[in-house]
Amino acid sequence: MTTTTITVTAEIRRFDPAQDAEPHYQQFQVTGMDNMRVLDVIRSVYENQAGDLAYQFACRIGRCGTCGVRVNGVPVLACQERCKPHMRIEPLTPFPVLRDLVIDRTEVEARYSELHLTPQRTQAYTGKAEAIEPALAEHLCHLDSCLACMVCVSACPAVAERPFDGPAFVLKLRHMAKHPADHGNRLQQAVDGGMLECFGCDLCTQLCPADLSPAQAIREFRKELVFGTGKES
Amino acid sequence: MSAAARLPRNTTRQTDVVQHGTIARILHRITGSVIVVFVLVHVVAQSVLQVPAFAAVKAGAPWLPVVQNQSWIHALLYFSIVFHTLYGLKLLLTELGVRIGYRVSVWAIVAVSALFGLREVLRYAGL
Repeated sequence: MTTTTITVTAEIRRFDPAQDAEPHYQQFQVTGMDNMRVLDVIRSVYENQAGDLAYQFACRIGRCGTCGVRVNGVPVLACQERCKPHMRIEPLTPFPVLRDLVIDRTEVEARYSELHLTPQRTQAYTGKAEAIEPALAEHLCHLDSCLACMVCVSACPAVAERPFDGPAFVLKLRHMAKHPADHGNRLQQAVDGGMLECFGCDLCTQLCPADLSPAQAIREFRKELVFGTGKES
Repeated sequence: MSAAARLPRNTTRQTDVVQHGTIARILHRITGSVIVVFVLVHVVAQSVLQVPAFAAVKAGAPWLPVVQNQSWIHALLYFSIVFHTLYGLKLLLTELGVRIGYRVSVWAIVAVSALFGLREVLRYAGL
């Protein structure tokens, strides 16, 4: 098997709030196999050229959602995205930056916590298993595979322009709304989170690393807003 | 294998792909602006050309009828009206539950709109 190599020029946004007044870009060159992922480039920079570079990752297989970065302005999972000869690597927007490529997820986690993303029951859980239609269970599992990587939130033009929490949160609310045991008013939560500000551009669907469709979740909520949920609350 | 058990794509080239949603959103915004500007300019221009009280202004603007007969302006206007209408309808239908693919729909709407624009160019060319 033949392998070809590639030399990548990576401009990485550096910012240490303790030392820097303004962010700046530092250029690195990395040579490796041409099927390197962006994360391989970042790790190589960290291990060989800039030991003080802050970045984060965990699983390396696109499951944990922690390695989200913007490459040439497009939010991606660094462990999944193939490297390019010239890359400008930045932390995800619009989140506060802790250092270099690491964003502060405190607000994200707080938002998830506020949404109470467990089934809100009218009666206490009996402890017995509750049967769910297999097709619905599979659909719920699919919705539950959201990585919370914030790639969709970073890509969303409505988040940048309007008071909208982001597609990821609406997707989670949709997951709960479809759960048969949940009786919370998820539609109202979605509206409160700015769901109506969505442009319907489907960019979140196109860029989702888990092949989910937050845009479809938003559309389903909007349809319910017009025609009703058909579910007792 | 069920969708839930499948691993995500193991390789992405998201930085290379055409962002259909961005193109559609920007075109929708531009065409909407074109329509608004056209309506405003059209009202003023027709006033100048038709209202006797503006005869002096009309005499000072001999270029106005020439501008009004530019084929590319009509092509741009027709493209804008058709694109803005169809994309708006597409957004409405999808929110009412109709499944319409975001990739194909954008280019289909651009193609139909371009046909209307082209028709204007050909009409002015006498074809």
